[in-house]
Amino acid sequence: MDQLLLIINEMREEDGNAPLEMLEDSMDLRDDLVLDSLMLAELTVRIESEFNVDIFEDGIVQTVGEIIAKIEGK
Amino acid sequence: MKWIIVTGDSRGVGREIVQQILSETDFGVIGISRSSIEAADELLAKYPDRFRALSYDLTDVDGIKQLYMDKIRKIGPIHGLVNNSAMAYDDIVSNLNVQQLQQMFQVNVFSAMHLSKYAIRDMLLHKTQGSIVHISSISAHTGYKGLSMYAASKGAIEAFSKNTAREWGSKGIRSNCVVPGFMETSMSSTLTDDQKARIYQRTSLKKETDVSSVASTVLFLLSDQAKSITGTVVHVDNGTI
Repeated sequence: MDQLLLIINEMREEDGNAPLEMLEDSMDLRDDLVLDSLMLAELTVRIESEFNVDIFEDGIVQTVGEIIAKIEGK
Repeated sequence: MKWIIVTGDSRGVGREIVQQILSETDFGVIGISRSSIEAADELLAKYPDRFRALSYDLTDVDGIKQLYMDKIRKIGPIHGLVNNSAMAYDDIVSNLNVQQLQQMFQVNVFSAMHLSKYAIRDMLLHKTQGSIVHISSISAHTGYKGLSMYAASKGAIEAFSKNTAREWGSKGIRSNCVVPGFMETSMSSTLTDDQKARIYQRTSLKKETDVSSVASTVLFLLSDQAKSITGTVVHVDNGTI
């Protein structure tokens, strides 16, 4: 979760947004984190580079919890 | 150093594109074709640090992810992709063979799209304002007997390119097509002299398209000189009418 927060905050900083203090499993990537499809693509490649997991390979991912589950291979 | 992937690098226009990139730019080249390694000796000797040859059969679309993960991304960040590899399945439509048609689409369309996926992902990761160039064919614009299926694969890639350009333009990633006329390469070696003469008569310049002119247009589209050009097709076809 910490590493994911780091990646998301890095992207937020690049876009001029304030960093988040914490992530919650229930947070929606589009509604709560305000990520559009191109930003989600960028998040995907950064996560893949860090964890070797392609989060969108098997379909749409909606929440932070779903990303964590993919990273942890659940 | 940033790298440009060139498929079908071992012969014809692909080989000319590789030679021009290596002699006229500072980019490295990753060549991908079935016979890359055997055909690469001369270039490897001349450019040991800037040329990598990967032998890969582009009919294997599913293996491209592993090719990228295990080999391409370890070489270095990608600046460009030249989708040049192509299979020509020529026949009249009433003889259509599904297996051959599928194989051609695997190479000409699905692999080209899949490589674009990983090139774009690599560009996103490294914040590269990269350039994708697809090699199309004049047959997608002017009809020739026996080329409807081949032309369909090229039409597909042109539509893909235009939409890719629209999708990724905000990240500075460009996508264009070069449309060569008939060239004297192994792709057209099955044509008789009479067939060739009739094809060349349909061009304004009345002769075969020059391979180096096609390659230098690709080089231009890969370069910063073309930074305002995306989502378009550039004809290098001796003015085919």
